[in-house]
Amino acid sequence: MTDQDTTGGTGDGPTPGELPSRTATGSSLPDLPPDAARRLAELEDRPGHKGMFTSDLSVNEFLLIKEVGFHPLGFVMGSSIYHLGIQTRRWSQSQELAKLTGAMYNARELAMNRMDAEADELGADGVVGVRLDVNYYEWGSDTAEFIAVGTAVKAEDGHSYRNNQGKPFTSDLSGQDFWTLMQTGHVPLGLVMGTCVYHIAHRGLGQTLRTAGQNVELPNFTQALYEARELAMTRMQVEANELGAAGIVGVRLEEKTHMWGDHTIEFLSLGTAVARAADDHRIPEPRTVISLDG
Amino acid sequence: MTRHTDLGPGRDPQAGLHQAMAALSAAPPGGRGVTSDLSIDETLLLHSVGWEPVDLVFGVSWWSIPWGAWQWQTGEIAEASSAFAGAFAEAAQQMREECAQAGGSGVVGVEIEMRVAAHHISIELTGTAVRRVDHHQAGFEFISDLSARDFALLTRAGWWPLSLVVGASFVVAPRRTARQWAAQQGQNTELPHLTEALYLAREGAMARMQRAGSDAGADGVIGVRLREGPLGHSARIMQFVAVGTAVHLAAGSHRPIAPTMAVPLDDAERTFEAASLRSSR
Amino acid sequence: MTTPESAAGEGNLSEGPNETAEPDGGVPDGGVPDEVLPEAAARRLGHGAWSSALSVPDLATSLALGFEPAGYVQGFSVRQWRWIGYYGAGFSPAAGMGAMVGPRVGPGEYSEGWRCPHGFVAGEHRVYGYNFEQAWVERSWAEAWGAAYTRMIEEAEALGAHGVIGVTDDMHYLAGTGAAEFSIRGTAVVVPGAPRPSPPFSTFLAGQRLAKLIEAGYAPVGVVAALSSVQMFGYCITRLQLSGSGAGTWSGGAPGVGAIVQVGKAQRAARHLAREHLRRQLGGDALHGATVTEFEQEIGEGDLAVHCTIKGTRVRRFKDFDPLPEPEPVVRLR
Repeated sequence: MTDQDTTGGTGDGPTPGELPSRTATGSSLPDLPPDAARRLAELEDRPGHKGMFTSDLSVNEFLLIKEVGFHPLGFVMGSSIYHLGIQTRRWSQSQELAKLTGAMYNARELAMNRMDAEADELGADGVVGVRLDVNYYEWGSDTAEFIAVGTAVKAEDGHSYRNNQGKPFTSDLSGQDFWTLMQTGHVPLGLVMGTCVYHIAHRGLGQTLRTAGQNVELPNFTQALYEARELAMTRMQVEANELGAAGIVGVRLEEKTHMWGDHTIEFLSLGTAVARAADDHRIPEPRTVISLDG
Repeated sequence: MTRHTDLGPGRDPQAGLHQAMAALSAAPPGGRGVTSDLSIDETLLLHSVGWEPVDLVFGVSWWSIPWGAWQWQTGEIAEASSAFAGAFAEAAQQMREECAQAGGSGVVGVEIEMRVAAHHISIELTGTAVRRVDHHQAGFEFISDLSARDFALLTRAGWWPLSLVVGASFVVAPRRTARQWAAQQGQNTELPHLTEALYLAREGAMARMQRAGSDAGADGVIGVRLREGPLGHSARIMQFVAVGTAVHLAAGSHRPIAPTMAVPLDDAERTFEAASLRSSR
Repeated sequence: MTTPESAAGEGNLSEGPNETAEPDGGVPDGGVPDEVLPEAAARRLGHGAWSSALSVPDLATSLALGFEPAGYVQGFSVRQWRWIGYYGAGFSPAAGMGAMVGPRVGPGEYSEGWRCPHGFVAGEHRVYGYNFEQAWVERSWAEAWGAAYTRMIEEAEALGAHGVIGVTDDMHYLAGTGAAEFSIRGTAVVVPGAPRPSPPFSTFLAGQRLAKLIEAGYAPVGVVAALSSVQMFGYCITRLQLSGSGAGTWSGGAPGVGAIVQVGKAQRAARHLAREHLRRQLGGDALHGATVTEFEQEIGEGDLAVHCTIKGTRVRRFKDFDPLPEPEPVVRLR
């Protein structure tokens, strides 16, 4: 799939190799707002002040994270409110909307970078249970808030789990999945994503009339949707490659029209890039059970 | 994580049932009856760590917010934040008193209902007071929204709940000036002043919750939920409320629970999953 | 404020539904005198095959435990229904300045009064405020619920059942009639070879939850429920607070941000009354798996009615807990 040929695409979007950079641009805000720094400072141990952690992990997740040798440091978050102006689209042509793709990507990056910065401030090795959300507010026309939250964790054995970019790893796995992943001898490297905003062409009147009453394949539509999904997934894989990942687990593809109407769709692909921790790892054999609770 | 309890071979469920039927013809024991909203699983798990239910307990508080608090300002609305804090503190205090009066040492599974209306904030707490089976009383110990199951699991691992901690902040979204609006129109760009306002409100709610945890002498706050969104009576006002349970490590060190992997053979899963917690809360 | 214990006086719910289900309870209060079943019920129950509302897993567990389904049983009661009204002589909520004589409550019932601190009188200024228990609502709710319950139990008895499991209850308004129907249903079961309790037991539980309850040493005695009803007539301070005009020079002592004392007390009283009404039906047994529902209605500017129901299964300990085997934590691979 990495060899996906994009020249066949109709859009003017970036090719998979030309991704928006991981260091998001276009913001006048510092990476770590002073209020956040103050809150995070209160979490840390220092003479005369007992530190503590905060976390949105459930008790189950908390205990499982502890079980694999991590201690939660603090609940971390990042957000960015973005104005998403509309890009002109050609009525009858399917194409990627590169500006919107860039904006969606950039806004999420800003939110994630701020979350990373909070985790970094805490000296974290990683962030688990990351959730990315998009909020819309009544008062903000064409604006959306991108928010990333998670729990910063640190390895208790002093070993560093930071990724090859020197950043804390991020992962959208639940505590249960995180524990299970570690049992399989893998470590998470980072939450990777790829996005593509695509305009699906409206059909001309002639076309509609010709196929009216028939259940025929609509090749243009099939191709456009195919293309958009492949672009999103390819970009996600490029991110994973940059992290030196062996693979991506828990990949999901979300399709949202946000506020653009039915024909403009964002295809967002998300997953956790992982690497093998050791080659000789033996996976414990799972037991089979029928549960009695419910 | 789920737990499996095999009640073991050699038990005769039907003998138990016959015994139960016989007990129904006996006279009621009399005295003050225990009330509890725990499920049987929770009751058993609680008992396995040496606790039992005593009574349903409540805490309710309504606080007023004066007219004008919402209208005449931008940024954080201090009246609303302090009304929230006051109402929560009062409701929690009542719950503690009811628990002590019922002879309990703590409250588990507290359900929190909070409403923010134009002129008042209401906090309503419902939970089950519990005490040690051996009736050893160490005074009032904790209030927690953890389920009895989470309580049992946590205490096994050497941790102990302390109290519910909350932090709230209410902000009015700043309006864009005409010039900002014009400059941003038609562009895909971040809106820094809005980003900042919401970011700070969230941080404010978290920081207050954290401080409450610190004051309780906690080692951490788990199960934090951030509730946020526009208020019903004004879309421009956003509320951010962080709630969690402050915990501390009571044993010298964390005790591993050593789970094993299991492949369930059930088709239709009707079991507890952590993910369901997140969405339901 | 009246404490819940002292409010638990005579004349409230001493004739609650479960009292009538006691062996010595006799004919239910408020129920129709039905020594015989309604004709339709008799016809249905006389039919050979049993029916059951249990799911297949619940049915399987019940069979394994030693229950045999005897039939689906139900009871109904339709009542003229209103939640508020009837204040007693001398009290009129419509009076602008409020009444000096509070609403009449029976002995031991909850009531509490407030008086304006302002010392000035104007047409719309409520000088007096009251919280009071509406025992007549509580009583009629208990009667209706008890009647439906008794009818269900009578169907179970007619089937020779030991008890009713998987009970559900409901109250809904019959559109346009001003009436409400109370209904209680469940699956009647027989325990072959076991002594038959009289009246039959009942429980909201079924299936493995019931199996675990009995395994843990609890016998289900019966489903119990109670409703409390508290009405609040706000005095001036409460009204000012609820309308947001608490802050201001003339409000004299109503703080801008502060506890709305009268509402808080009404809310707590409703919960405590429901809990104590219910406790009186327990006879020292325990209430298991309670559900608490509270709802309030605004009945005018600054006036509220607060209702609270608690229901659950009354259970009796018949043997001590066996120590629970240490549960084994597992992570499921989905």
